[in-house]
Formats: sequence, C-alpha cells, structure tokens
Amino acid sequence: MISVRNLYVTFGRGTPLETRALRGVDIEIPQGQFVTVIGSNGAGKSTLLNTITGDVPVEKGQVTIDGIDVTRWPAPKRAGLVARVFQDPMAGTCEGLSIEENMALAHSRGGRRGLGAAITSDRRSLFRDHIRQLGLGLEDRLGDRMGLLSGGQRQAVSLLMATLAGMKILLLDEHTAALDPKTADFVLNLTRRIVAEHGLTALMVTHSMRHALDYGDRTVMLHEGRVVLDVAGAERDGLDVPDLLAMFSRVRGEELADDSLLLG
Amino acid sequence: MSQIAFLGAIEIGLVYSLVALGVFLSFRVLNFPDLTVDGSFPLGAAVTATLIVNGQDPWLATLLGTVAGAIAGVVTAALNVRFRILHLLASILTMIALFSINLRVMGRPNVALISQETVLTPFLGHGLSQAMVKPIFVGVIVLVVAFLLSRFLTSEFGLAMRATGANARMARAQGISTNQHTYVGMALSNALVGLAGALFAQTNGFADVTVGVGTIVVGLAAVILGETLIRSRSILVMVLACIVGSVLYRLAIQLALSADFLGLKASDLNLVTAVLVAIALILPGVGNPLARFLKRPSGEATR
Repeated sequence: MISVRNLYVTFGRGTPLETRALRGVDIEIPQGQFVTVIGSNGAGKSTLLNTITGDVPVEKGQVTIDGIDVTRWPAPKRAGLVARVFQDPMAGTCEGLSIEENMALAHSRGGRRGLGAAITSDRRSLFRDHIRQLGLGLEDRLGDRMGLLSGGQRQAVSLLMATLAGMKILLLDEHTAALDPKTADFVLNLTRRIVAEHGLTALMVTHSMRHALDYGDRTVMLHEGRVVLDVAGAERDGLDVPDLLAMFSRVRGEELADDSLLLG
Repeated sequence: MSQIAFLGAIEIGLVYSLVALGVFLSFRVLNFPDLTVDGSFPLGAAVTATLIVNGQDPWLATLLGTVAGAIAGVVTAALNVRFRILHLLASILTMIALFSINLRVMGRPNVALISQETVLTPFLGHGLSQAMVKPIFVGVIVLVVAFLLSRFLTSEFGLAMRATGANARMARAQGISTNQHTYVGMALSNALVGLAGALFAQTNGFADVTVGVGTIVVGLAAVILGETLIRSRSILVMVLACIVGSVLYRLAIQLALSADFLGLKASDLNLVTAVLVAIALILPGVGNPLARFLKRPSGEATR
C-alpha cells in the first residue's frame, strides 16, 4: 500500500530555474492495485516516483508505505520496501557484473549483506529456476556479463530482480521507453504477468496513453504537478485514447497536437 | 642482473603488490581515484618504524601501521562522502596533510631500523640468506592477503561494494548504502597500503618521509600491467594479476637500470616509471602492428 499526501517538491528554489514539480499531490494506492500514470513532459510523473523511492527529497507532505511513514528515509533504506525498474536499461543493472551477480544483489535487497559467499550453488539453482520463466534462454548464461544482453533482455531481468526479494511494491519508470515496439510489448506483458503472479502493488509511469489504458486497474493523469484525472473500474473501461486526449486538452484549456503524447 | 638484484626486485615487487591491491580496490572496484596512498604508504612505515624503535612488538607495530593507513582512507572517504569534496581533491588533501603528520610521528625526517627486532627476525639465521628470506616472507603475507581479499570481494558485502563502484544508482535502488561501502572500501584500500609501508620499513631497514613520492604511479602501473597481461573476470585471477604485475614491473625497472648500454642511473627511476606506465596505458589502445600480417587478406575471407 502506498499513500502520498499533500506532496510538494520544488527544484532549484530561489533560482531563475525554479521548477515546482509537484504541487499538492494526493494518491492512495491500496494493496494489489496496478496504477498507470500519464502526463506530458514536466508533469511530475517521474518526480512522484522518485519521491516514493526516496531519490528526491520532499519539501512538504508525507509518503507512507505499508502504513509506515518513510518521508525521511534515505533511498537505500526504502529499497527494503519498494523495488523499481528504470527507464534506461543500463541504469537498473550493473553491466560489468554477471547476470547471477546482479540477481544476487537483488536477492539480498532489504537484508543484511554479510561476508558469506554471494553466489552459492543453492542460489544459482534458484536464479536459474526464476530466469527460466522469462523464456529467453538466459538460464544457461548466468555467468555472462550483463552488458552482453540486449536492452529488452536487461529490462526483463530487471523486472525479475525486482521480485527476487519478495517486495510487494513495484515502481516502473517508463521502463519500456527505450525499447522497440515488439520488445516493449514483450516486457509489458511480462510486467502484467509478474504483477498478477506476485499480487504486487504497482505504479507504472508511461508516455503512451494506449499502454496506460490497456495495462493496470487505474489510471492517474498528472499535469503541472497536480492530479487532474483519476479513473478506475467501469468508468475507465469505457475510456479510449481519444477520450483521454479530449480530457487532457480540456484540463490544459487548449488544443493538443494529437501525436505529441501518443508518440514518445 | 645479479642474483641479489633479482631477489631484491622480487622482494620490493611483492611489497608494492600490496599497494597494487589497494589501488585495485580504490581505482577499479570503487571507481574512486585515490592519491591518499602517497601519504598512507610512508604513514604505515613511519608508525611501524617509530613503534619498533621505541621497543614495541614488531607484529603489533605492523598492525598499528596498517590501522593508521585505514584511518587515512576513512579521512579521504569522509571528505568525499560527507563533505562532497571531489574524490581526487579529497585524496590530495589527505596526502598533503599526511606529509606533516608523518614528520610528527617520526619526530625527524627518517628513522633507521638497524639492530632492532622486526617481524623478519625469527626467520633469519636458519640457513637461508637474508636476500632469500625476505621475498619468501613477504610473498607468504601477500598470498594470504590476496586470498582473503578475493574471498571478501565475492562475498555479499564485497559484491555490494563492486556494485557501488560500477553503478551507484542501481546499488542504492537495491538497498545498498553506497556511503558505507565507500568508507569500508577506502579504509581497506589504505590499510593494505599502510601494511605495505610497514613491511617496507622492516625489509629495507628504514622509514623516510619522502618514501611515498610516486607510490600511486607504481601501484597503478602494477594494476595496469597485470590486467593487460592477464585478462580474466574471475576476482581471484584479477587479484593475482595485480601481484604478477607488480613483480614484473619491478623486474622491468631493474632490467632497465642494470642494462649498461642504456646508460641509466638509479636517479632516472621516476622517468623510467613514468615512461613504462605511459606505454602500458597506450599499448592496449593500439592495434598490434603484426596483426596486419597475420590476418588473411579481406578478399579471401568473404569467399
């Protein structure tokens, strides 16, 4: 469960470049809900995600995860509660380390890292079982460098890594934006499967209105640091991309170039 | 090269292989260019030599020299992590400060260990010459350290440290405190360099404030030479490569200095070092000039 209350974030306060990224965002995400977040560039989508992971400090407001107030927790401490997949396939994994070493790093998330061997035969077989589910043939390449994998493979492994330590909350920051459409579909379907199998509470930031409506149970639209649309259930099922676009242009009070949000 | 000069080169190569391991930890594992070693090497030597001269147990003195090195590493890490000073600059500040501290520790520019008991004393006088005992003694210590270090780097904590250097953002997202791992890594790195200084003082019979000049270049040369000659992804092999690199580097220096036709003097050491390191850095980027003759002409390959 994630609860964000009256959240304010400002970058570069007092400078000419002052940006008010979040201006009083309130979102309650109950256990097991899959929320998609859309909005134009600078709407505050990534900032919202980064305040939940602790990468961006909060100016005002409160972030609660599973009933614990984590507003003042540093990022590594919050990693014990939330897992995330980055937009850049290079960012979420260590390319110089092997696949199994990356998985071992994720496996110990939230736990103590002692002086015992990071890779044991038990763990290796556990990792092999997990990675086999991806159907990418990576189970025979556990010792390969992560850098040898394609962007799509790396995102798939990142998703898997997010579930290794039994995290219940998954944050996805445009994790398919750097992939070609076919690979993006593969990773999105994998996301849907993993979220369902593990009963995860998920927050997915996306640039695609199509994806925002096709995946998940609820869609939130941000604009200039505020929530301007929050739909779920039957109301959301009846929506299509043109409806979303129409709503979007209404809140902006101006016409929107059709493809500026669809593409990207 | 005489046998004595050969054994001497191996001995000093083994002593500096501990510096190479420290540099490997900071430069390669943590991705932290650390020049503190120019100060922590003489610090280890100064602390150990001063304690021995004052009648302390040589093993305890060696341990305290190592700990002193670790503290120097922590200071550099704190300047960088806590106070956000650029890593290179932070390490230079510590290095400069250590010059004065080393003079304070010794109370004079150098301390001689002529008749004092050192960690080597129990092993001397059993038939082997001193020139043989020293490289064997240092070699055993280096191998034990190398084994422990590779065990450490493949542990969960060590893996987290490697992730800290390779991709700090990913490491934090995996719940790794990159600050904590930087502190521990820098302490460990400079502890190894302090140990090298402690052994240097006892095998060479003196500690001197100027002995640290260029330590970082020597350590880096060994690391680069090792990884150029022995390419591997196994941590143990990478660690052993640093040791091989350090010994080969000393042999190359000794060879260059003892080849009469080159006309080099001992005072040319730093020039030879710089040239060797430059060559080692340039070589991997340059294609092998012989490769052109070994490859088949491109027309044949397509047929």
